[in-house]
Amino acid sequence: MADAEAAKRLSGLLNGIAQSVFYQKSDVTEQLLKAELFPELPLGEFTALHDKMKGLLRSMASADMDHAQLEAFLTAQTRKQGSGGVSAEQAAALSRFWKSQRVRVRESVLAQSRWEPGLRGISWRVDLQAADSQGVAAHSGPVALVELEVGRTGQDSEFVCLEFDEARVNRVLKKMADIQESMDRIIQQT
Amino acid sequence: MAAKDSSFLGSRIPPEIESMSKNLKDVDHEMFRKILKAVVSALEGKDSREVMKAIAESSAIPQERLSYIISGMYRVLSEAIRIPTSSLKQEAFKEDLRELRIPEDFITDFSSVVFGNRRAALEAASSQKDPHLPTVEDLKWRVDVAISTSSLARALQPSVLMQMKLSDGTFHRFEVPVSKFQELRYNVALILKEMNDLEKRSILKIQD
Repeated sequence: MADAEAAKRLSGLLNGIAQSVFYQKSDVTEQLLKAELFPELPLGEFTALHDKMKGLLRSMASADMDHAQLEAFLTAQTRKQGSGGVSAEQAAALSRFWKSQRVRVRESVLAQSRWEPGLRGISWRVDLQAADSQGVAAHSGPVALVELEVGRTGQDSEFVCLEFDEARVNRVLKKMADIQESMDRIIQQT
Repeated sequence: MAAKDSSFLGSRIPPEIESMSKNLKDVDHEMFRKILKAVVSALEGKDSREVMKAIAESSAIPQERLSYIISGMYRVLSEAIRIPTSSLKQEAFKEDLRELRIPEDFITDFSSVVFGNRRAALEAASSQKDPHLPTVEDLKWRVDVAISTSSLARALQPSVLMQMKLSDGTFHRFEVPVSKFQELRYNVALILKEMNDLEKRSILKIQD
């Protein structure tokens, strides 16, 4: 029972550290984690535990470890002597955490090194112009109205509204095929 | 549509057209054609100031009368172009001009502008004046692969950087992660399909 409780606290600590280190939740502080999870632990001990776990998570994220790499890494850590080492319980908690969070952590860490505004969404509609102030405009073809949502991480979106006739849509689609081709080439090489 | 109850000019003949018909009386055919040509090119959005100036200098018609003629012709053509040919038949158009006592030769010339092969260019020029959202004038792109970052030893993550120049002169640059790129491409393809379908269907043929 005590073991289950300890494991729960440990995974709470790992999730808390991930919030502040990977997901930019600055309100999840070290003090908060101490007060919520380890109120009876002396501050010095808690800080040592916190920093050790934070360091390990950073290493795991930086190398984007797969299952085998993680196992090897944790085995090496548990063999370490003294306070730098990792207990079997801690290794198990790290392994569990990583299994569920690896993909999300990678996405988030990648986004941290993205500075240009990113494309967040696209919405569109196709219109047929029925009339204009000069009269009936039955002569014009369909028109696509497109709204692109772009924004920097942590900032509000901006919207770019555009108009395309069929020829323009065709040109853009052709460019996207070129882009796809060049990405496929890269993926084949790596 | 009630075919012949009203003129294509509406129930009230615009004043510039009335004064044009009065002032056209002794204008010779050659001069009429010259002016018509200049008016048509103005309607097509071309700069016809020089041609107009040359006409005014070479012609015996007083400036004031000439300006009545030009503005009347401009109005006749722009009013006629705005009505689709399915609603305004050539004969009805000619009949309306006859009622204004415009000489038959001139009517034939007007009619060949409105119903002849200049029509498409005139319609295109007129739709240029409609309100529009900006269009993409230029789209440049680059595919990057992030090798390594401050928090990821081996990122190896492709992404697309796009830069659009719009017709209103602004530039927009944004990054498109691979997953978003697939979404974007899918949507553009869908738009094109919708547009093609729309053209195939008879919606375009809906007219009054």
